[in-house]
Amino acid sequence: MQKLHLALAAVLAAGTSLSANATNWLKLQGTEAAGSTDRFKLWGFIQPEYDYTSNSKLPAGPWNGQKAVFNQIGPDLNSSSTFNLRRARLGVRGANFPLDGKTNYFLLFEGGDNGVTKFTDGGSAVAMTDASVTLNYIPHARIRVGQFKYPGEEEGLQAIHVFNYINFTSVTDQLLLERFFDGDGSNTQDENEPVAFGAFRDIGIQVFDWFNWLGMEHTYAAMLGNGSGIDREDNNNEKDYYLYWASEKVFGDSKGARREGWKFLGWYEKGQRSLEFVNGVAGKQDFDRKRYGVGTTFRKGKWRAAAEYIWADGMVLNGTDGGAVPGSRNNADTATASFNISPDGKADGYYLDMGYRVIPRLELDLRYDYLDRVKNQDPNEREFNTWTVGAQWWFNKKTRALVNYEIRDAKAPNFSSSAPPNQILDEVDNRISVQLLAIF
Amino acid sequence: MQRLTKSWTWLVALVCLGLTSQLWAAPAEKPFAEKKVVLQISDDDASKQTLVLNVASNLVKHYGPDQVDVEIVAFGPGLRLLFADNSNAGRIDNLAENSGVRFSACSNTMKKVTKNLGYEPKLDANATPVSAGVVRILDLVSKGYVLIKP
Repeated sequence: MQKLHLALAAVLAAGTSLSANATNWLKLQGTEAAGSTDRFKLWGFIQPEYDYTSNSKLPAGPWNGQKAVFNQIGPDLNSSSTFNLRRARLGVRGANFPLDGKTNYFLLFEGGDNGVTKFTDGGSAVAMTDASVTLNYIPHARIRVGQFKYPGEEEGLQAIHVFNYINFTSVTDQLLLERFFDGDGSNTQDENEPVAFGAFRDIGIQVFDWFNWLGMEHTYAAMLGNGSGIDREDNNNEKDYYLYWASEKVFGDSKGARREGWKFLGWYEKGQRSLEFVNGVAGKQDFDRKRYGVGTTFRKGKWRAAAEYIWADGMVLNGTDGGAVPGSRNNADTATASFNISPDGKADGYYLDMGYRVIPRLELDLRYDYLDRVKNQDPNEREFNTWTVGAQWWFNKKTRALVNYEIRDAKAPNFSSSAPPNQILDEVDNRISVQLLAIF
Repeated sequence: MQRLTKSWTWLVALVCLGLTSQLWAAPAEKPFAEKKVVLQISDDDASKQTLVLNVASNLVKHYGPDQVDVEIVAFGPGLRLLFADNSNAGRIDNLAENSGVRFSACSNTMKKVTKNLGYEPKLDANATPVSAGVVRILDLVSKGYVLIKP
């Protein structure tokens, strides 16, 4: 497996053509077309879906026989077979004073059932995901202020309504789609539910722009943010900073979210997180959190591809106790299963993704992703391998159906195959997801 | 003798045309075009900008650049189309240079915009200021142009 990782890293470094969308997301999400933008443009999208696993139960450990968290459908984790309104977003964007056009705004609300609504402000029917103002007055330094997607990994930064799959890769979901906790999960009587949600967004200020040089479009961004989740003030005085660079060879004069091109990107983010309960002891402690990665995306004609490698250092999600659903009591009724976080954990992972448009209305997709979680602590290390086979059918330009089948595998590499951690992980089920997406 | 006079008339016309094209940066009117069209843009709606350029482009494509004379007159909120930083500047450039499409910017609107903005916005290099957009349209209509407001 190690050889495979090295080979894949070498392929990435060599600039393989494997990748996803070649699009300038900072430009598309943060700015409006100069001189040709309306004062007010209403838009949004709806994503109803159905998810299914065979609901295998925990075969070992203190929660033996109970529901396995990894076989339940999030965010509620109550069922392994459920319809859900994954996202229902409504927003407005434009230029508040069209004559000038250099001040742009972006406002978006979420009404679906996901981490944004479940974990923001203790749970709410509707939550604001984006509210930002962009000032395009300084040459080569556009300024965006407010709450918006921070510059970073492609899978998280891309517009979700052009995402080619239903679920995120394990590496993105566990390392970058941040849940904010008050404790590390060591309190045995508390489920340690997230107190805030990141949604690949932060509140702060970003300086960015793009320019053409040597036949390529280059984009830079630097951002300073709270690093504390959406709709929330900072919970300490330390700020997160984000750095981003992308260089893209744009093919022809294609534009928009599915622009044809070949892009390379690199990003880095660093911040500090505060926990109130660590290693069984109450008391505030601060921990560094670093994430960085490289990637490439490609789109040309019927083909598209993407690949990214991500590294994580600190504040790494560390599963749940015994693989149980948080909040459930163990069989001896002595402890409550909780979400866990490893404040000093390290992890890395990658994904490879490609799609082929068989006919204009049908695209077939294939993705492989790997995550090595808490790799610096033998008892806690877990490896996740997932193959996702998918298809997308376009009813029209704005309406499409997605079907995904995920072949999921996980293991605890430092335990024997018969040890309880591996018995539990052997029960990770494959997952079927079907989604309808309508943009308006 | 009559033939000679006719030839002189053509020659004078050609010289005048040449002088005119040197004096004005914008493409000259096309006296031999079979079709003459003036397109009006006076809406705030950004999609109308794309539409009016598409119509001009389609007219040129259908009749050929020598057979159709197209002028786009922008006034009121539609004047934004002819601001120098408009995202359609590339298309405007292409239509002006390769298809001979003319662009007229209303000076009355410019004065109003300047007052609202606090500074005078820079116009596209292909735009020719006219005293009033609506007057320009009426003048062109009286010369046989067909007015279309996409």
